Parts: sequence; C-alpha cells; structure tokens
Amino acid sequence: MNEITAYILLALGFSSILLWLMRPGGNSVETGRPADRQTIDRALESIAPHHYRYFPQVRQALSAGDCEYLRKSAPPHVAKRAIRERRQVARQFLSGLHEDFSKLERLARMVAALSPVVSHEQETQRFLLGLRFRLLYAAVWLRLSLGPVPLLQLGELTNLVGRLAVRMEQAMADINALSAEHLPRGLNA
Amino acid sequence: MTHFEILLSLSITGFEAALCVFVYTRQLQRRLPYFSAYATTILICSLGLSLIFWRFGFRSVTSYYADWIALAVSVLARSACIVELCRDVLRAYRGIWALSWRILGLLTSSLCLHAALDARGQPNWIATYGLTLERDIAISSVVVLIVLFLIGDYYRIPLEPLQKWIALGICFFCVIEFVNNTVLRDLFIEYTNSWSAMKGRVDHVNEVWNTVYVSASLVTLGMWCFMLRKPLPEPSKAPVLLPSGIYQELSPAVNLRLRAFNDRLQEMLKP
Repeated sequence: MNEITAYILLALGFSSILLWLMRPGGNSVETGRPADRQTIDRALESIAPHHYRYFPQVRQALSAGDCEYLRKSAPPHVAKRAIRERRQVARQFLSGLHEDFSKLERLARMVAALSPVVSHEQETQRFLLGLRFRLLYAAVWLRLSLGPVPLLQLGELTNLVGRLAVRMEQAMADINALSAEHLPRGLNA
Repeated sequence: MTHFEILLSLSITGFEAALCVFVYTRQLQRRLPYFSAYATTILICSLGLSLIFWRFGFRSVTSYYADWIALAVSVLARSACIVELCRDVLRAYRGIWALSWRILGLLTSSLCLHAALDARGQPNWIATYGLTLERDIAISSVVVLIVLFLIGDYYRIPLEPLQKWIALGICFFCVIEFVNNTVLRDLFIEYTNSWSAMKGRVDHVNEVWNTVYVSASLVTLGMWCFMLRKPLPEPSKAPVLLPSGIYQELSPAVNLRLRAFNDRLQEMLKP
C-alpha cells in the first residue's frame, strides 16, 4: 500500500508542476513567440541591467571608515541599528546584482532559442552553472545577514556584471541591426 | 453493465463524436494530423467495443481481448499525438528542437525499459507487463509533456492555447490512468494466486476504477470540445532565427562570466 501512496503522491506532484507551468504569465500565450518583434522589444527593454551602476553609492554607504566612525561616536543602540541597516543595504544590492545577472542569463537563453544551432555542452554547462549560482547566492545572502559586509568581493561581483552587461548591450545592438535588415519593421520600431 | 456504466459509455461516445466533428470542422487535421487521427481512433474504438459488448457480452473473453486491443491502439495513437505536440511547439526553434528531441526520446525509452524491468519476475508477468507498460507509458507521457513545458519555460518559448489545452487534457487523463493502473496492478499481483477467492472483490474495485477512468475521459474530451468550440486563431508565424555566430560568441562569454561570478560568490563564503 505504501508503494501505491508513493505513486499517488508522485501523480499529485506531477499535476502540481504542470499546473504551475500552466500559470498565466509563465509560458504565456499572450506574449507570443520570442521572435515577435514587440516581444523582443519588450524583452530587451526589461532585460537591460541597471543595479550594478549604483555600486559607487553603495560603496560609500558601506565604507569601513563610516562604520568605524559610527562605532566610536554614536551611542551603541544607534551604531547597532546602523550596522543592521548597512547589512540590509548590502543584501538589497546583492539581490539587485542577482536580478541583473538573471536578466542577462535570460537574454542568453533567448539568443539560444533563436539560434539555428545550439551547443549541447554550452547549454548543459550554463544550466548547471545557473543552478550553482542560485545556491551560492542563497548562501552569500545568508552570510551577509549574519556577518560583516565583504566590500571588496562585492565590488568584484559588480565589475563582472558590469563587463557582461557591456557585452550584452553589444549583442542587443547586433540583434537590433539584424532585425532591421530581416524584419518588416526594426526591433525598436 | 449497470445502467450507470451504460450512461457513461454513451456519454463518452457522444463526446468523442462531438470532438471529431469539431476537429474536422476546424480543419485541425491540416495542422495536427496525429491529434485528429487520435480523436478518430478513440471514436472508432468506442463504437467497435460497444458493438462487441452488445454482440458477445460485457464479460466475455472476446470483449476482454477487444478491450486490450482497443487500449493498445489508443495508447499508440496518443503517443504519436504527444510526439506531434512536442514537434509542433519546438520545431520552429531548430537549435532547441535538435537538443530537446534527444532528451525527450531518452526519457521515453528509459521509462519503457523501466516498465519491462519492473514487470520481469512478477507472477503472470505478461498480464502484469501490460498493466505496468500502460502505467509507465501514462507517466512517461506526463513526464515528457512536463519536460516540454520546462524547456519552453527555460527558453521562453510560449505555447499557444491549442497546444496548452491538448497537453493539459492528455496530462490529466494520463495521471488518472497512472493511478488507476498502479492500484489495479498492485491488486493483480497481490491476489493472482488466490484469484478465484478474491475475484468478487477485485471486480468491485475494477468497476469503481472503470467509473473513475471513464469520468476522466469525459473531463478530457469536454476540455478539448470546449477548446475547439470557437474557430482557432491563425498559428503563430515561425520566428526569424539569428545567425549562429551571435550564439557562438555570446554563449561561451556568458558561461565564462557565470563561472567567474560563482567563484567570486564562493570566495565571499570563505571565513
């Protein structure tokens, strides 16, 4: 009987996954195919990363000097609150970087979908790297909630996203140029 | 057959006939010939079975074999319909289709192999194999369609309402069939040695599950008839594919950055 229960649970699990995949806005039919001009227009507009650009301000807010000054001059409860808020700022910034990177990864998947030849190795690699990225992100997010803010590494992460964003912007320009040649109206029409 | 079973059976035939009318009125055979063939096959099987039940009796040996044959034919037609659906969703995306059909094929083959291995060594294994195969084909159909949706979701390939409703109907029916066959197979293996003593009980369970099975068919057919009640919109135009150079340049760059990003994240975790 245990086996039957397991199978019924499996069936229920599959049904739930299916219903989740059918949710409106997921594989939405209203959005049309990704090669639709308007869909790509919308996707390219929404995909452009922007959080990484705020790093100088975040760095200023999280600087070690500020922290030291707070510890020395402010009452303990104020300093504690300030440190808590600094961690929150760091977490929000990390979450912004995560969003930026996810968007770029999504653009890469859209490019793969529209490519006539796709490399099995590249796709498997990106899928696994994406999984690892999400796990590591969750772990770092937890670490930022509990410990000091590693500004240097945060800066390196920002640079990475920034460099990739520049490369992606070039790719978007290529796609736009191509659409202007091959589609009745350009991507930015 | 009880009056209720006769009523269910008649309703099923009615819905199947309505589905066929809708399919051919909407000229679906041009776009999805295997789905149209499936709709026609299940109607022919229902009519044929009704004739055999009427001529030979519901519990005769002829009816028993006819039922199994009809089931095999409709399962084959449904499998072809699933393959057609996968192709219809993904074929415009040549790169993704080339990648996906191997994954989907491998999944299906391994699930069918699992059925063979699972049935081997069981008492009365040919009959058990039939039930196991039916069960595993049902679940592999669901898995294949879920993987198709996951691939679509991952690569942002949307499904049209027609494709969605057909897939949802097949999945719903297959999930019920899977649970049905799991329970029946379990009972069959458990009571195969004391069949004559337990036959009444097994027959009762079988009747209950037949009713569930037929009700699931009715829901599925109703869903498809509802989908086809209005003229279908024009199928989406095939996407304009990008030159492969863009992918070849961009994909390794993204992977490289993703790896570097992961390394940096890992460094942040070090004490």
